[in-house]
Amino acid sequence: MNSEIIIEVEGLYKTYPGAAQPAVNGISLAIRRGGFFGLLGPNGAGKTTFLSMLTGLLKPDSGRMRIAGLDIIDNLNEIKHRLSFVPQDTALYPTLTAGENLAFFGSMQGLSGSSLRMRIEECLNISDLNNFADSRVDTFSGGMKRRLSLVIGLVNKPDILFLDEPTVGIDPQSRHFIYNTLRKMNAEGMTIIYTSHYMEEAEALCDYIAIIDHGSVIAQGEIGHLLSQHGAANLEQLFLALTGTRIRE
Amino acid sequence: MNMHKLLASISKEAKIIIRDREALLLLFVMPLAFVLIMSLAMRDAFKEKGRVIFPIVILDMDGGRVGREIINAFSNTKYFRVDTSPNNEERVREDISRGNHKFAVIIPAETTRKAVSRAKAQMGTTNYKQAGALSIRLMADPTIQAVHRSIVISSLNRILQGIETKMLIEQFAAIAEEATGINIGIQQGEAAKIIRIFSEVTDEYTGSAGGNAMPTSVQQSVPAWSLFAMFFLVIPLSVAFIKEKQQGSLLRLKSMPVPAWVVLAGKMIPYFVINQLQFVFMMLVGMYLLPFLGGDALEIGNGPGGIALLTISASSAAIGYGLLIATFCKTSEQATTLGGTSVIIFGAIGGIMVPKFVMPSFMQKLTVISPMSWGLEGFIDIFVRGGNINNVLPEASMLFLFATVCFSIAALRFRFMFR
Repeated sequence: MNSEIIIEVEGLYKTYPGAAQPAVNGISLAIRRGGFFGLLGPNGAGKTTFLSMLTGLLKPDSGRMRIAGLDIIDNLNEIKHRLSFVPQDTALYPTLTAGENLAFFGSMQGLSGSSLRMRIEECLNISDLNNFADSRVDTFSGGMKRRLSLVIGLVNKPDILFLDEPTVGIDPQSRHFIYNTLRKMNAEGMTIIYTSHYMEEAEALCDYIAIIDHGSVIAQGEIGHLLSQHGAANLEQLFLALTGTRIRE
Repeated sequence: MNMHKLLASISKEAKIIIRDREALLLLFVMPLAFVLIMSLAMRDAFKEKGRVIFPIVILDMDGGRVGREIINAFSNTKYFRVDTSPNNEERVREDISRGNHKFAVIIPAETTRKAVSRAKAQMGTTNYKQAGALSIRLMADPTIQAVHRSIVISSLNRILQGIETKMLIEQFAAIAEEATGINIGIQQGEAAKIIRIFSEVTDEYTGSAGGNAMPTSVQQSVPAWSLFAMFFLVIPLSVAFIKEKQQGSLLRLKSMPVPAWVVLAGKMIPYFVINQLQFVFMMLVGMYLLPFLGGDALEIGNGPGGIALLTISASSAAIGYGLLIATFCKTSEQATTLGGTSVIIFGAIGGIMVPKFVMPSFMQKLTVISPMSWGLEGFIDIFVRGGNINNVLPEASMLFLFATVCFSIAALRFRFMFR
């Protein structure tokens, strides 16, 4: 694995207006280029807020964030060309076809002409939706929508792919398909940062994780190292040991 | 590069709009239905450039000079449509009570003879007892507005006064001839030949091109409901925008290298085109479909530049308002309720549902708060008052100002959301 740091975060803070506690409370971490980084945490821990700041969707109150050496706030437009974000919702236009959704988001990523057409073709292949290119998304199953949502994130061949719980509520076949696709993209050199509540999934996919609770990183490192450090048999045990068993709203 | 993104954004929005059949029905069929219903239903109320035409039955049981003169007098004005076919008072009374006739003038038998006798009595050549009482009656449908009833009563009284004057002149002439031996030249029943001192009063309107200031039902309804439909676009526009937020596609767009103006313009341009198509469609309905269905044809005057300026400014105002609603509402239910209700209120206040000229003066003053009223006044300036682009500059400026204020607030809010 490449040891070059692609994302560096130092002392990041964010408090929403009216909130008593910060959503992100002094996070500092570094992510290696080509890594598969899992961001884990209970509900309301600050994962999505942190991810939103890394993707430029939200401004931090303070702290520094750099991607490939560039400050995110100062170079947002340039950085946006290098990354892609797959939100928790499928984020598709239901009355457009799969091909039209890809064409639109591809155009918004700056692709056009033959390069756009080629990427649409490739993405339909990756998602195994070739036969549904001209079908409206509102006729798709949940799994098909997830697959399409994922490949829209790949249309611009990003250096860094951010995914916010990409496998929520889908069938095992589609989930398996998404695992394989992400592994393949990661093997080709794409840096992947993703959040999930599925510990088995994170254990199988990630080489490095950070567990966040109450806006702070409470543990980070390689999974094997963390498990042995805390004497846990698996990631779920480790997660519950660090975040407790109290149900979060 | 941004131009390519803008075109892609326009294309995406256009496809979404075209595939939303319910929204298209709302934007095209709803105003079509309103224009057809209101233009045809209110045709008579606006007839002859806004003059009210009163249908009136005259039952002439006299058969003499007075009956003829009453019939002629009513028939010779453009405000009455006379029907002399009924010949039975009971039947006329029954028809009035059923609402089949609105007004009926009953001229009893012997009216002419009694009228001449009473004229003679007035001159002292006979006495009133010999002449007998004389009464011409007016029956009216009780649902008729009091103001309309008063108009018909005063018209009938004016006609009767005219007949009285002529009869008195004839009697006076007869007495004078007998006393002086000089032939004055007015025989019994010939006073109608006397030249009137005053000519008939005509109503004069002061349009820029000498046109009539009162619209026909079509000139009122077509622009009114076109504007209403253009503003009704607030609902699909704001709902589409909110759905985009809720479905997460706006969030995805935010993470992409797309300027906020591309996203906004990509939404506004297709809706602007829809507005223009709505207006052209409604104009064609007014010009070709309404006459085919028995209504008046829409006369659009000679101000194409003014019409274009008004449709562009009205569309800008509608889209600006739609974006304002979209950026402040959190759910599509909120947008539908707030957008729909406010547009209906704008329409009610702005003279869309009830024409401004029938409103009491304080309500007429209130119309200035509705952008639809500005647009409608502009179209009436062109269609009815013969105005041109210069005459509609104030209305168009108000609409552009409204659009600018709404759009500025919406853009600030959107930039805040898109940041």
